[in-house]
Amino acid sequence: MKKHHNNPDSCTACTVCVANCPVTAATRKFRGPKMVGPTLERMRLSQDDIEPSLEYCTNCKNCDMSCPSGVPISTLNMLARAKHFKNRKRSLRDWILSHGEKMAKLSAATPGMANLGMKMSRGILKKIGISNKAPLPPYASKSFSKLFKNLKQTSYPDKVVFYPGCFINYNDPQVGMDFVAVMQANKFEVIIEEDFVCCGSPLVVNGFLDEAEENAKKNIAVLKKWTDKGYPIITCCTSCGLMLKQEYQELFHIEGVEEYAKHLYDAGEFLLDLHDQGRLNTNFGTLNEKYMYHAPCHLRAQGMGLPGVELLALIPGLDVQDADAGCCGISGNYGFKEDKYDISMEIGSGLFKTIKESGRDTVVSECGTCRLQIGHGANVKTLHPMTLVRKSYEAFHK
Amino acid sequence: MTGPGLCPVSFISFLKRGIEMQKTTVVVIGGGATGVGILRDLCMRGVDAILLEQQDLAYGTSSRYHGLLHSGGRYAVKDAEAGKECIEENTILRRIGRHCVEQTEGFFARTHLDDEAFEGKWVEACAKVGIPTIPISVEEALRLEPNLSPKIKSVYRVPDAAIDGFRMVWQNVASARKYGGRVLTYTTVIGIEHSNNQVVGIKVRNTLTGEVSNIACDFIISAAGSWAGEIAALAGISVNVQPDRGTLIAFNHRITSRIVNRLRPASDGDIFVPHGSITILGTTSASVNKPDDTVPNAKEVVELLNIGEALFEDIRSYRMLRAFAGTRPLYSADPNATGRGASRGFVTLDHAHDGLKGFVSVVGGKFTTYRLMAEKVTDLVCGYLNVKTPCRTAEENLVEDTSPALMAKARLYFPAYGAELAASRLGSEGLEKVIARIQEKPEKRQLLCECENVTMAEVEEAAADSTSYMISDVRRKTRMGMGTCQGAFCTFRSVGAVDANGLSWGKDTNVLFKEFLQGRWKGIRPILWGNVMREMELTRGIYEGTLNINGAIDNEGI
Repeated sequence: MKKHHNNPDSCTACTVCVANCPVTAATRKFRGPKMVGPTLERMRLSQDDIEPSLEYCTNCKNCDMSCPSGVPISTLNMLARAKHFKNRKRSLRDWILSHGEKMAKLSAATPGMANLGMKMSRGILKKIGISNKAPLPPYASKSFSKLFKNLKQTSYPDKVVFYPGCFINYNDPQVGMDFVAVMQANKFEVIIEEDFVCCGSPLVVNGFLDEAEENAKKNIAVLKKWTDKGYPIITCCTSCGLMLKQEYQELFHIEGVEEYAKHLYDAGEFLLDLHDQGRLNTNFGTLNEKYMYHAPCHLRAQGMGLPGVELLALIPGLDVQDADAGCCGISGNYGFKEDKYDISMEIGSGLFKTIKESGRDTVVSECGTCRLQIGHGANVKTLHPMTLVRKSYEAFHK
Repeated sequence: MTGPGLCPVSFISFLKRGIEMQKTTVVVIGGGATGVGILRDLCMRGVDAILLEQQDLAYGTSSRYHGLLHSGGRYAVKDAEAGKECIEENTILRRIGRHCVEQTEGFFARTHLDDEAFEGKWVEACAKVGIPTIPISVEEALRLEPNLSPKIKSVYRVPDAAIDGFRMVWQNVASARKYGGRVLTYTTVIGIEHSNNQVVGIKVRNTLTGEVSNIACDFIISAAGSWAGEIAALAGISVNVQPDRGTLIAFNHRITSRIVNRLRPASDGDIFVPHGSITILGTTSASVNKPDDTVPNAKEVVELLNIGEALFEDIRSYRMLRAFAGTRPLYSADPNATGRGASRGFVTLDHAHDGLKGFVSVVGGKFTTYRLMAEKVTDLVCGYLNVKTPCRTAEENLVEDTSPALMAKARLYFPAYGAELAASRLGSEGLEKVIARIQEKPEKRQLLCECENVTMAEVEEAAADSTSYMISDVRRKTRMGMGTCQGAFCTFRSVGAVDANGLSWGKDTNVLFKEFLQGRWKGIRPILWGNVMREMELTRGIYEGTLNINGAIDNEGI
């Protein structure tokens, strides 16, 4: 079989995907991944119609992960959604939620004003279909790229290219700064490339596939430039990582993706590789702290285990417990939508319960929007693993 | 599950009702395209007629072919007459058969393996008989059909279309019934009764009950296709029909949205036809001794894949659903002519010349020209009966369009991608009945067959039809069980539905299971590798493991 062969042929209708779909478990409004994905794909090839429940797929990829036949079920759904919207008018809500990067750039001049405006306009947002209960992220006062420009790095012969992604760049730049500090502690210089654009994940889930493909072409050109020189590319956001590494291959027929994808790493994965090579700085200071950990679906979809958990296990005194309680329900911007908010919270309810019952007040997770949802649903603080790794390095020198 | 027991009396009388002491003017033998075409034509001209079919409608060759409504391009060079008939009938059927014909259009594509000289000859021959051929660039062809091999050399567009054999037969019957036509399925002919060299009746046996009865009639028309020789033999007359077996492959999805023919002299494995959710590739050609020699084998499948690769180079990465075989009824006055060497034209044999009046056989021909064959033979018979009404089968639609209001209503009750298909399968009347079932019990909207999008309500409606006696009869009416999982999930659901509805033929659920699963297995066995093998193991797990079907059947037998 060809790799990423996007036709429904590998499906044996076994229904394992339905049993593993968090949306199907939360609502009867979704007819399930098997039906909406490969089964209806056969119909889509012969007829023009729309399955109304297609909009309920979150692209969380639990179906793809559980499929014993390697069918890219969620990708079939995303392609079908794009086909449906190709010549149709889109809602303002979906445009706003898909274009976080553009919105951020508009707001970048005055993030304080933008945040104030956002607070005041929650009523207006609700009118256009964005839930007024959803945990919308505030903009940071200074973007990651601004903070990075003012940072003096020590130069080393070993270099990595960092792909920050929109969430780290505009909403949570401290994660990027922590990552740079960790790489410096490992004698790596971090390169930031100004020409990177949004990976396209929010565009894909809302059916703006053509724009996502434009972004993909821009990013692939930049990624290829660096990987041709032998530089590893690193992400701290698991959805960006999945998009660059795997979804580009499934969604678009662009040459060369398979080649550069070999050089793409999640930050935790990269550091663990260094550890395997005996090249990791293991001067970890003791952290006598307890945390819960949540594995983002888009990390699990990459099939690399839980590198964040393994890495944190190297830190003396640190107690990190994997919640292992499934999807948080946010799925990028899905949980922000007025008509999806309740479903999103229902999907995450098992995870929230596990976290609350653990009695631990902080949850570690790689994904920015998972952290937002967990903070909102379980009423806890959240952290990226890189923040703890940096903290441990700094504790060693105290 | 219930025990076997004896058939309840009500069941027998139910079956008897149709065949006891009947009388008609004309008996038509054969529930395939030609037979139903004749039945419709006779009834539209006001002649009383009964059609007999030994199995279910469209059980024979009329559903065991690729479902191509030929433009005639395939025959133009070698048999101009057949080519001309095809384009004329193709034009008529695209008009009257909108609900069984899909106007896909077709390509004739010459591959790098095919003789360039033939191309010119073909274009010229098509022009001569009036088949429009429009040359397009290979780039354009690949843009329209991206799965085509980029190695193809030249492409022409022709007005080919896909025609659903099951639906076409059903719609002819529905039309005939409106004019008083009657149909008896699972009824086999065991004798032709005559007196003073004139047909007076026919002796039949119900294959389900074994009951024998007579039907009085003035005329018998045998449209038994590959079985025509056997029917004629009952009257001591020799008709030389050579069954010629063709094997085909059904693929799991539409790998092309147009029909693709290989531009070369007609040969094996050179036609791909998209059909609803699937694609069919065919065929092989081999003379066989028996008309029901329809068990395909793996060697034929591999041969078809090898040949098909020239048009679709990724053919081996497409999932096959099953293989199936049918027998072409090739007729020749010369008993030595076989295969594609024999004519595809049709012949009406008036057995008055053999000394028996009131008996006609129609032999040879092909699906595309079924209506014309029916018209010719009906003209002949009407001549004898002194019926002057002209043929109108080319003017009147097989079934009327479903009204926009009913379609809008159907969309409220059927799932996505389901309303149009259901409407074309059921016709307006059937559609209303299925909608009524869903209105009464909204849970009947759920899909019983997910692969082919068939609702519980539609399966129940088809199962309740007077011509349904087993799950396969329901399958032929609905496409249930003909998709990806090939019965893995819909078999137990449909058996459950039949049992829950208390249908007279559904008393012994073990028999229902066995009949349906064995029917599916027949087409799966010759392609049992790759994903098909995995699918089959899942099916085996469900039926042999979880449900222990074989154990139940064995125990019942003790």
